[in-house]
Amino acid sequence: MNLRRIAAVVSKEWREVTRDRMFLLLAFLMPALWMIVFGYGLVLDVENIPFAVVDRDRSALSRDYLHRFIESRYFDFQGYVAVEEAADALLQSGKVRAVIVVPEQFQERLSAGTGVGVQTLIDGTFPLRTDITKGYVIAITAAFNEELLITHLARSQGLSRRQAETLARPITPEVRYLYNEEVRGTWSIVPALVMFTLMVSSPLLTALGIVREKETGSIYNIYSAPVSRIEFLAGKLAPYVLISMLNVIILWLMALLIFKVPFKGNPVLFLAVSMMFVLSSTGIGLIVSLLVRTQQAALIITVVVSTVPTILFSGLLFPVSSLSPTSRFLAHLFPGMYYANVCWGVFLKGVGPEVLWRDGLALVLYAAALRLIGYRLFTKRPRS
Amino acid sequence: MKRATMMFKSPRTLTWWRRLAVMTRKELWQLFRDLPLMAFVVYSFTLSVYLTGSGIQTQLRNAGLLVYDEDHRASSRELIRRFHPPYFRFDGELFGADEGVRRLDRGESLLVLDLPPRFHESLHGGESVAVQLLVDTTNSAQGLSAAGYATRIIGEFGREAALARIGAANDSSPNRPMVLNDHRVWYNPNQTESWFESVSHLLRMITIFAIMLPAAALVREKEHGTVEQLLVSPLTPFQIMLSKVLAMTAAILVATAVALFGIMRPVFGVPVRGSVTLFFALTALFVFTTAGMGLLAASLARNQAQVGMMTLLAVAPMLLLSGITTPLEAMPVWVRALMALSPLRYFIDIAHGILFKGAGLPILWPMAVSMAMLGVALFGFGMWRFRRQFR
Repeated sequence: MNLRRIAAVVSKEWREVTRDRMFLLLAFLMPALWMIVFGYGLVLDVENIPFAVVDRDRSALSRDYLHRFIESRYFDFQGYVAVEEAADALLQSGKVRAVIVVPEQFQERLSAGTGVGVQTLIDGTFPLRTDITKGYVIAITAAFNEELLITHLARSQGLSRRQAETLARPITPEVRYLYNEEVRGTWSIVPALVMFTLMVSSPLLTALGIVREKETGSIYNIYSAPVSRIEFLAGKLAPYVLISMLNVIILWLMALLIFKVPFKGNPVLFLAVSMMFVLSSTGIGLIVSLLVRTQQAALIITVVVSTVPTILFSGLLFPVSSLSPTSRFLAHLFPGMYYANVCWGVFLKGVGPEVLWRDGLALVLYAAALRLIGYRLFTKRPRS
Repeated sequence: MKRATMMFKSPRTLTWWRRLAVMTRKELWQLFRDLPLMAFVVYSFTLSVYLTGSGIQTQLRNAGLLVYDEDHRASSRELIRRFHPPYFRFDGELFGADEGVRRLDRGESLLVLDLPPRFHESLHGGESVAVQLLVDTTNSAQGLSAAGYATRIIGEFGREAALARIGAANDSSPNRPMVLNDHRVWYNPNQTESWFESVSHLLRMITIFAIMLPAAALVREKEHGTVEQLLVSPLTPFQIMLSKVLAMTAAILVATAVALFGIMRPVFGVPVRGSVTLFFALTALFVFTTAGMGLLAASLARNQAQVGMMTLLAVAPMLLLSGITTPLEAMPVWVRALMALSPLRYFIDIAHGILFKGAGLPILWPMAVSMAMLGVALFGFGMWRFRRQFR
């Protein structure tokens, strides 16, 4: 290892990166822009589900029941439909996602003290939305039923309203939300976005930088130069690691200043783990670049092995604990999940190494393993 | 009609088409010879579709529940039993109130249910009783969903217990006023997640390949200087661009067929209720439109590194915000407005419409037209930029 030779490679690479103004701009613009777009735009709480109503009863009570849906922020009322066939067409075109059908004699039967069936047709194409819609319908209907029950009990059992309420609702669940007390979506998503933007941008930066030399043939200068493999790799990766670390700091500041996410943990710990993560994510780019010959292939493969698994298996959108066992195993193969845990831990939970050591250690091992594989794969004596 | 046939048969147009065919063949060869790339095309449309379809769960599953039961009587045990798989996972009992927060800190469990002493007695004595629920909302969507399920379970349990006490708890033929909600889930009655997730993944992969392959292929020619050679040949810039798009469209359509008929239908039972021809025709239109975005980026970029960054800059929001990973209804208005520019936003409705709902053009034409218009605009603009650069 010769530091001067590393410095030479670093300065050559740094110049190449900074002279491509557009590339440099994109390297910093991409994470920041995504942070803004996804931080404000990626909302996971489903509201405003468009729905239509077939009200065959048109009574005071049916309107009362339906008004609970119309006024709810979870639903977006699209209008009354006269017949069910018209509702079918609306569902099929995707203009509404649910149709509530209130039968005749709705009021009559409820007033007589019996049950009455209300049908809800739900679009099942998107199981998550279907499930959430179902949950809202159940909750609104349950609240309506509770009201009916209280009135009914008060009348039939001769109880005061207060007693009837206790009877209808004997257990009160007192829910306390931890770490994100007001359950703000941005607080949840922004720490995970620090992981996402870096996990997607830095492998690509790195991969393209190295394959470019292979594709244009300038790598032959390296093959014939006295610089050793390890020196070349260290110097070549340094600018990309530096850019990614600067991005960590930019994203961190954005999270604190723009999105006002609390940072309860230790900044030094966060930076140390971030460094390990950046070494891992650039490591992925390194491996890809050593396996392919063209930038086209490097581009596609990096996106397939870093962007797609990060969307699916990092816990950003789908909690890792809900995944199937195979997918949970896959989630552990990518560095994204560990770093997302650390980000949530230091931002929202305020926990330290006693909790996060496992994730940190996984990232250290990951970074080391990728470097080692990269070192083994890179050869100054190409076969062809 | 007659004029069109004449034009097609005239020797000049024939050569034009022949040249386009030769160029397209060249592009296909170039693609097939890149072995690592081909390996990833195969992986993305087979194994990757399988893994995603079988692995992703968007509904609440396996939420770890810790219980601090200070009563240990029949009622508390019965209530705990109602938190069952697949929604909840019982992570054990706690012996102190502080232990719960410590365990949530470590992120091993998601909820702590705290049942007070005299829970059973109060419930059967007609008193109202409060139970505490601590929920980890680091992930707000998951936390809210778990809290929603949990309060629903607790509410139902309490009501049943109270009504049983006064002898009025027969839900099947209620002798009390009650709205019985009967859900009918259409198009995917069992809410099989693999249907949705595998279709989403297929669209995700088509988008990535459709935007990036032609973009990189075009910039490569610019970077290597081979585009100059092509431009002095009898080829028009339009033919150069079109041949790249045609080659990639052909490759992607074959890959889509493999994914649909080799994995999704046989393994997951994904239905194809509408017309297969229409599905592939509109997939081709989608690939064409999306490729237009790639070509536009290619005309702005000077090298492949730049075009890679530019296309990724556009691809990530498309993948996350077009409605294939999270419902579009949840998104803020400005995102929905922005996504009018994403061809994927139209294609997801088309794909679901044809595959799940059996819809045809009478219903889907507005989507198809929007997509086509977007495609023509992107292609035209990219074409204009490309021409201007080489003149």
